[in-house]
Amino acid sequence: MPNENAILSFEDLEIEFTLRGQVLRAIRSVCLDVYRGESLAIVGESGSGKSVFTKSAMGLLDANGAITGGHIWYEGKDLARYTTEKEWRAIRGKEIAMVMQDPMTSLNPLQTIGDQIAEAVRLHQDLKGGAAKAAAVEALAAVGIDEPERRYKQFPHEFSGGMRQRVVIAIAVACRPKVLICDEPTTALDVTIQAQILDLIKILQKKLDLTTIYITHDLGVVANVADRIAVMYAGDIVEVGKCEEVFYDPRHPYTWALLSSLPQLGVKGQALYSIQGTPPNLFHEVHGDAFAPRNPQALNIDFVERPPLFEVTPTHKARTWLLDPRAPKVEPPEHIRQLRQKGGYLHG
Amino acid sequence: MAETREKLLEVENLQVTFGTKRHPFTAVDGVSFDIYRGETFGLVGESGSGKTTIGRAIIRVNPVSGGTVKYKGEVISGKVSRETDRRIIQNIQMIFQDPMASLNERAKVDYIVSEGLYALGEKLSEEARKEKVAKALSDVGLLPEFASRFPHEFSGGQRQRIGIARALIMEPEFIIADEPISALDVSIRAQVLNLMSRLQKERGLTYLFIAHDLSVVRFISDRIGVIYKGKLMELAGSEQLFAHPLHPYTQALLSAIPMPDPESEREKKLVVYDPTRHGYTENDPPLWEELEDGHFVRGSRRELEGYRKLLGQ
Amino acid sequence: MAIFRIKDSKTQALANSLNKESARQFSQEELFQFAPYDPDAGERGGYSDYSYWRSTLRAFRKNRVAMFFLCVILATLLFTFLEPLIPYDREPNTIYYIEQEKINLFTRQPVLDEQGNPVVEVSRATDQRPGQEFWFGTNSIGQDLWSQIWSGTRNSLFIGFSVACVDALLGILMGVLWGYVRKLDFFFTELYNIFDNVPQTLIVMIISYVLRPGMGTMIFAMCLTSWLATARFIRNQVVIIRDRDYNLASRCLGTSTWRLITKNLLPYLVSIITMRMALAIPAAINNEVFITYIGLGVPLETPTLGNLVETGRKVMGEAALRYQLFIPVVILATITISFYIIGNAFADAADPKNHVN
Repeated sequence: MPNENAILSFEDLEIEFTLRGQVLRAIRSVCLDVYRGESLAIVGESGSGKSVFTKSAMGLLDANGAITGGHIWYEGKDLARYTTEKEWRAIRGKEIAMVMQDPMTSLNPLQTIGDQIAEAVRLHQDLKGGAAKAAAVEALAAVGIDEPERRYKQFPHEFSGGMRQRVVIAIAVACRPKVLICDEPTTALDVTIQAQILDLIKILQKKLDLTTIYITHDLGVVANVADRIAVMYAGDIVEVGKCEEVFYDPRHPYTWALLSSLPQLGVKGQALYSIQGTPPNLFHEVHGDAFAPRNPQALNIDFVERPPLFEVTPTHKARTWLLDPRAPKVEPPEHIRQLRQKGGYLHG
Repeated sequence: MAETREKLLEVENLQVTFGTKRHPFTAVDGVSFDIYRGETFGLVGESGSGKTTIGRAIIRVNPVSGGTVKYKGEVISGKVSRETDRRIIQNIQMIFQDPMASLNERAKVDYIVSEGLYALGEKLSEEARKEKVAKALSDVGLLPEFASRFPHEFSGGQRQRIGIARALIMEPEFIIADEPISALDVSIRAQVLNLMSRLQKERGLTYLFIAHDLSVVRFISDRIGVIYKGKLMELAGSEQLFAHPLHPYTQALLSAIPMPDPESEREKKLVVYDPTRHGYTENDPPLWEELEDGHFVRGSRRELEGYRKLLGQ
Repeated sequence: MAIFRIKDSKTQALANSLNKESARQFSQEELFQFAPYDPDAGERGGYSDYSYWRSTLRAFRKNRVAMFFLCVILATLLFTFLEPLIPYDREPNTIYYIEQEKINLFTRQPVLDEQGNPVVEVSRATDQRPGQEFWFGTNSIGQDLWSQIWSGTRNSLFIGFSVACVDALLGILMGVLWGYVRKLDFFFTELYNIFDNVPQTLIVMIISYVLRPGMGTMIFAMCLTSWLATARFIRNQVVIIRDRDYNLASRCLGTSTWRLITKNLLPYLVSIITMRMALAIPAAINNEVFITYIGLGVPLETPTLGNLVETGRKVMGEAALRYQLFIPVVILATITISFYIIGNAFADAADPKNHVN
């Protein structure tokens, strides 16, 4: 049974897709607890399964995908057993809501902004007519849109990208969900707008007592918003820990590679640390550690057996054989050592 | 110091207009900058700022409606002779943003990479061509056996490198890289950036690097131009720009850079840019002036005075 | 297709067993030693074996109805060519005579001789019902319907394929130029506007009067204007894809317009062109039927489905003779419906969105 502090708990979750007659194992037996009130960031590259993973908690898998094993516990209910739209409707939006990457695709271009928010309010808060409208105007104001009364009557195309994303957020929180999933919420936005949107989500999280799950590939976003981080690679969580633990004392070679290959940390004129190759094709069976073929310091056992989650601290776990007492000592790249010092983690 | 170097590309008062005569839309307005041989010039701006349009105007995909573009002192905007045309095609190449959209899905990698060779009009034997393709592929870290495959079989990073190989086979001097890494995964970006730096060193390439991400541009560029709504706001050496950002828009951009470091993110203070703050009028128009060696800023007389004082401190 | 998959799973099984074997070879100590690193291995990893045409064919084959009609069309086509070889020697244009009882034209009773036996005489085999002698019966001048039908189907299909081919060739060429070469846009648009306003029937009528009626004239008349519609269709498709990044890339590489059209544009349009062709064939056949019906068609000595339907229509009033209309109509309907279903199924199959399953 799940941890009692967890609002959402994934237990040995397995998700498979069938594509042109072949089976793709998108999520390979993943466990993850999401604690009440925290903000968790799931970091990974495209195709790592981070979106699929969270979509499974909303019943939004594509038609050719299915949960083939494990559980998703939410308030004592196992969402992995849900099959009908009716069951999901009680969860989707009301309990768990989602903000997508591209605000234009989640808004109806032919309906005014206000009507779209009011509709969500009517559906979930049981308000009618004027009350619904008032609630919608209030929601617009709450996400930092000036002159909400006038903006209420406008259409999505009259809004800038950042403003549209604010509207999408307003719709998502209008139904007072407990969990808010933000799928690359700022990727489509300009840098100066990004920070504002992240600030908004943080403010709303406090005000509405939300649990937020961010899905992103941008470590800058993660550093800004996350209490805890889960790093995903090839359908598996390879490292999970508190924000500081993962940034200042990462243990999995993939996390090392992710962090030290960032141009922000690079020195001009020197080559960036980089990992060769590309993520594996999940149509083929993955043996052992999926990252091993790209890892120059992989051990023989990495190709043979999947590493267990080794515990670094009670809150920090990593799935790599390097943490096994039998493993040889491997020095992380230069940047990681610098980060360790910065974070005050001084290991011999 | 900069004056002694050879100007490879000179953009003077560039203007690009789209739309009909009745509803014109000026995407780029009065943009001037030079790019010196062997350097990387970064062009930073948000979506819709006109940065991509400038790149496409230089490579002549978008027609220029005002101003000139000179390559090695020769005007290349507007109508040019057939011979000049061929020379420019060979010398100036482009790397595109989205590797998923910029490769011909119905052609094999072999054809995609050697496409430029056909246009050069050299008579190449089939063997010599194959050899060149294999060389170009291994130059970008791909296996020569990939030549017989179709683009959809590759990941984003690999496709981007195919795109680079396609440009390299022309042996260009100047490459316009339009957001070459923003569509790539984090772990792949470093590969492509390293590749671009290595090629620059080996072949003495000159880059125009267009991006929206200042931190990436800082890493790769020698000089940076900041563009906002089709106009250059500030232009300076990259360290100069990061040390003394003068224009408020540059300051806003700098303050928003996401840092992969929880501590600095916590201390981050956002600067919001308000374009109405300048209060430019007919009598007090914005000027484009060099305030210190190689550091240009756009501003009214009064603003420029203030910037000078800031620099003096 | 199946062969590919079997190969895939076999190689996979082989790889798996190899991996397992090599796993057993490691001792406890060796397990925690560094493995040899091959940078190329990581590069090979992210490799998919999706193929557009393979997936299109797969999706098409899954459509049972379309596969059935494809078989019907292929069988029909094959049979029109094999039909003259079967041991049933009747010519489509020959008027046949048979010995039959003489009928009194007024009383409609058999004429009897002195012995009271019916008088047998050799006369034209008109309006014979389908049977042993004439498989599909004969028409009102004594021609054999079976051989007429098949030779007519052959001719009609020939008209259909010819018109569709010319249509496709001219339409694609002009359409691509219209869409891609911006300078030609105005010229083609005006040309289209002018011709689109003249009814096609009118043009066919004029051509039929001016030239000698026949299959060639018919094909020429139908081709004369129909390619414009195809060109416009292709033009719209080209406009959609002409400014995509990969085409800009080709322009930056100095690729000539002709190469760009054949290598960048047409390969993307093959699926919709195929679909349009599939629909153009029955359209041309039906057009021929219509033109023959209004009396401007191919002369009677060239049997076509149009001629046959027209002949059948004349005797429609008499219930016993309706087989002369029904048989060609059934063939015509089969061909039209088959092409229509095949065309639509192919369009669905060629859409990459349907390549998921």
